[in-house]
Amino acid sequence: MAQESELAAISVRNLSIQYGDFAALQNVNLDIPRNQISALVGPSGCGKSSFLNSLNRLTDLIPGCRVKGEVIFQTQNLTDSKHDVLSLRRQIGMVFQKPNPFPQSIRRNFEIPLREHGFSKKECRDRMVEALTQVGLWEEVSDRLEKGAANLSGGQQQRLCIARALALEPEVILFDEPCSALDPIASAVVEDLIVSLRERVTVVIVTHNLAQARRIADQLSVFWVRDGSGTIVESGDAGEIFQSPSDPDALNYLCGARG
Amino acid sequence: MAAVLSVGALLWIVLDLVKMGTSQIDWEFLTSGVEESGRAGGIGPVIKSTLLILMCCLLVAIPFGVGCAFWITEMVSPGSRLTAWLTRSVDLLASIPSIVFGLFGMAFFCRILGLGFSILSGGLTLACMILPILIRTTLAAVQSLPPDLRLSATAMGLRKSTILSRVLLPRAFPGILIGFTIGVARALSETAALIFTSGYATRSPASLLDSGRSISVHIFDMAMNVPNGATRASASALVLLLVILMINYLANYFSDQWLKKVN
Repeated sequence: MAQESELAAISVRNLSIQYGDFAALQNVNLDIPRNQISALVGPSGCGKSSFLNSLNRLTDLIPGCRVKGEVIFQTQNLTDSKHDVLSLRRQIGMVFQKPNPFPQSIRRNFEIPLREHGFSKKECRDRMVEALTQVGLWEEVSDRLEKGAANLSGGQQQRLCIARALALEPEVILFDEPCSALDPIASAVVEDLIVSLRERVTVVIVTHNLAQARRIADQLSVFWVRDGSGTIVESGDAGEIFQSPSDPDALNYLCGARG
Repeated sequence: MAAVLSVGALLWIVLDLVKMGTSQIDWEFLTSGVEESGRAGGIGPVIKSTLLILMCCLLVAIPFGVGCAFWITEMVSPGSRLTAWLTRSVDLLASIPSIVFGLFGMAFFCRILGLGFSILSGGLTLACMILPILIRTTLAAVQSLPPDLRLSATAMGLRKSTILSRVLLPRAFPGILIGFTIGVARALSETAALIFTSGYATRSPASLLDSGRSISVHIFDMAMNVPNGATRASASALVLLLVILMINYLANYFSDQWLKKVN
């Protein structure tokens, strides 16, 4: 167990999330292994996104939201209110369901976050080129960096958002259903990209697409509602869980019978 | 029908002003001093006072208005009682008749702060008056921005101030410009609030603490108190109309240019 924790990029202990009186998530324990893809699946409203948001403290933005328990990242508990959230969010990036580049030029999309984190203009340019190359977008956009990011297609925008997150060289990238707003072809491109990211970052992905989870996940956690609030009912090696889930709800869900 | 009526009314007013005023307007009229209570000479000092009052007003109102709107959206948690209370007071402030602002300005700026009947008092009074307009339009502009804009910026570890200045403000700028134009038009055409605060001296103001007559006060005075002043009042009104149209046009132009640049 101790060794496992050392390998984990993020260790979650007894995490509970409350919105006012409503407990969205209760007693979640999870080790997210380094340089692997951990997929979070489960029906809507069982706390997957809340869980994801708590990992980079986006839960702070929600009025009345309280997070209890521990999220250990680099030996520090990041649910601690004194934790430096700005540098945390640089290390744990996030990509959302709907592609959301800033409605400004492609270059500004990189400059705004990179300049904020203290990089020079020259470094911004280098990192932008590198990140855009990594997501396979450089060839497509290198001649229109000054044009608005809003003119790109949905898939391109999503890859731009991933590149923007990568440019900050995070340890972990959280994906909240990154393909569900894209057409199948763009979705496949983004999915392949996420798989290729595994070498450099730890990936945590919420997905409603079980086929996708089966294709890309190393680790799988099934969320379910128990006693009115979300929790993890099954977690472990993705292949094993898809083969023979032990929890009856997980079994039904993964076989497509429920949820 | 309603559209025809409203366009018709506008055309009537404009044509009437053009018919009566155009013959009076020349360079001389725009630059020389007011003589015989306005029946002779021009409106040079009036234009100068108007611009100075407007400058005082905007210099105070824009930073306060935009700052206040951003403070409400960013610092006060949305949906809280404080937000509701603040927006309600802003709306209330917007519905106060200008003459009440005039009386307030006279009591507060002229008397209590000892600024007297001056360009400064008038400008500050107008600032109070257009503040709610600026706050309201800026609030609307910021609140209409897609929420994921703020979310994605926050998720990258940007400070609140950076999100505001680099992500939200560029996007909200055209909306803020609209508030600016409405505010300017309201300030330029204001009479009641200025009679009590800036006064109606027709001489050219030497400093911000001098009394000065704004163009709308001049129009009012010419039309009501000066026999045979109507044609000259029309000429002044035409000048006012042209100035407001020009500011509208410029604001539209800048907002288009800005959107082009940002997109």
